[in-house]
Amino acid sequence: MTTILRKPASLRVPAGVIALIVVLALGPRVLSTAALLNVQDAVGLALFACATNLLIGYGGLVSFGQGAFYGIGAYTVALAWMHLNASFWVTLVVAPVVGGVAALAVGLLALRTRQLYFALLTLAVSQLLYVIVQQQESFTGGADGVFGPMLPGFLLNPGNAYWFTLAVAAIGLLVLWQITRSPFGMTLRAIRENRERAEALGVNVFLHQLLAFTFSGFFCALAGVLYVVWGQSANPNLFSWTESGYPIFMAVLGGQYMFLGPALGALIYEQARDVLLASFSDSQLVFGAVLLVIILAAPDGVAGLLNRGRRLLARRWPGLAPATSRAAAAARASGGQDTKPDGRPETAVR
Amino acid sequence: MSHYLITFLSALTEASALFIAAAGLTLVFGALRIINIAHGSFYAFGAFAATTLVGGAAGGWRFWLALLAVPFAVAVLGGVTEISVLRRVYGKDHLAQLVVTYALFLIFGDIMLRLWGSAARSVPVPSALAGSITLGGGEFPVYDLFAIGAAAGVGLALWALLQRTTLGWRIRAAVEDRELLASAGTNVPLLFTTVFVIGTLLAALAGVLAAPLESVAPGLDASIIISAFIVSVIGGLGSVAGAAIGALVIALFNTVGVLWAPTWEPAFIYLAMIAVLALRPWGLLGTAER
Repeated sequence: MTTILRKPASLRVPAGVIALIVVLALGPRVLSTAALLNVQDAVGLALFACATNLLIGYGGLVSFGQGAFYGIGAYTVALAWMHLNASFWVTLVVAPVVGGVAALAVGLLALRTRQLYFALLTLAVSQLLYVIVQQQESFTGGADGVFGPMLPGFLLNPGNAYWFTLAVAAIGLLVLWQITRSPFGMTLRAIRENRERAEALGVNVFLHQLLAFTFSGFFCALAGVLYVVWGQSANPNLFSWTESGYPIFMAVLGGQYMFLGPALGALIYEQARDVLLASFSDSQLVFGAVLLVIILAAPDGVAGLLNRGRRLLARRWPGLAPATSRAAAAARASGGQDTKPDGRPETAVR
Repeated sequence: MSHYLITFLSALTEASALFIAAAGLTLVFGALRIINIAHGSFYAFGAFAATTLVGGAAGGWRFWLALLAVPFAVAVLGGVTEISVLRRVYGKDHLAQLVVTYALFLIFGDIMLRLWGSAARSVPVPSALAGSITLGGGEFPVYDLFAIGAAAGVGLALWALLQRTTLGWRIRAAVEDRELLASAGTNVPLLFTTVFVIGTLLAALAGVLAAPLESVAPGLDASIIISAFIVSVIGGLGSVAGAAIGALVIALFNTVGVLWAPTWEPAFIYLAMIAVLALRPWGLLGTAER
């Protein structure tokens, strides 16, 4: 692919982020406080989901334990306030670093295992923290968690808290996006596609995966800080395996092979959950059925569906096609191969 | 002396249902390469169905009927699930398979909540196995001994099935190389359904067997699947003998942990799993993932 064709594609993510921010920034003007809190929660979870997807979608590493770093981020803020009376603005910076260091330590151990063993080992680590936080009541507040005025006055205003969350999440997402398109991110994808070949080319696979795990832990912990801004508390459930499941489902729902797919999944999930809870008594059943249909019918999530729809329209109006599809159309016209044999959209980050 | 014997037997009792459930999980993983989160649902189906069949009556025959009939009924559900859903995801990545079985877990969870409500239920011990006997100076419930015996029986039956029958060597061959098995003329989809049905049967059997030992309430599916994961990962995914060792290790950790360090007890099983995987990344008796 030539560099000329690549440029519009690379502009799409910042354009998407900016468009999303513009839409979301209207929030305080049009939404009720309850709805605003809901969107704020979804924005924090979007960062959590995209940070987790650095491992799942880009690294091919299914971690079922990112809740550990999410919890570490939230508890760093809460415990530093409880025991040291530390300022939130200090812990805002410290918490992601603690999450990153913890991830580095866990990664050193967990990355020795592969595939399902990796998923289950990361799950065990987060469950271990979950039970320890629950049991060591004198230090962590036990099963009730930590409550109290841990936030500065500025963030007690719902509008300010919303804006702050939006800004932090946007910066986090842009940095994550820069990581995915850096040579490092490309190598990570190469490892996912063919570990042996990458190794044979001289890539230090372990080091790349360890770095990815560390970055992911850093941003998961940052999302954990945003949880505190939202919930004004920290509780042990943040560490549990069900919490670790959320970003995975958001990635699957939104589309794990696109950078903003998991963020889209988080926004959809948060809004859909409220509708489901309000209109069905069996909300889990409906959610399970939706997940089932997505995996079986749309393995690239909502983002994949959007792309597919766009390409369908592009057959009639070529101007609508994504840049890469236009290249494919040109290749088709010149007799080359068109879609990939496995049917994945060409714009997918593969 | 008697104190240690009773502690050990308590651990064996805890290990028995855990082993049967984990053996089903590990068998399914070995042949189908799928981590089945819904395995916990089948266990809970077994336990809940037992509460309905046995009811409040401590009468003998109803429990035995449940022990015989419920696993087969749940196994039919397992077969339908495999044919209608799981067959579609065999070729996909681990993540898709995990999410699909998790989706089934959620769906089954709500179905059970609707059928049996959210109140905790219990199953009385059958009258033939009520009471306790004196063992080396200590008292031990007869039903617990029965559970240990049942687990040993299931272990022997699985060993005989895997080592001594044609179906058994087909299953072991599928663990090794399913493409070669298919090209040698085995109907692999049918074999997979059979293995999944056997796995489901074991899960439900464990659920019925454990029902008189624990309170049957929503959340049973989630708690057993985590324990069964840990047991089969410690033993090595795909190894039935490993599941037996894993179940014993976990039960001993739990039983001794409660006595010695109650506040740290819930952490022990995760520490055990992390320690085993740090030393042997594919479990005690497992083979390295290809």
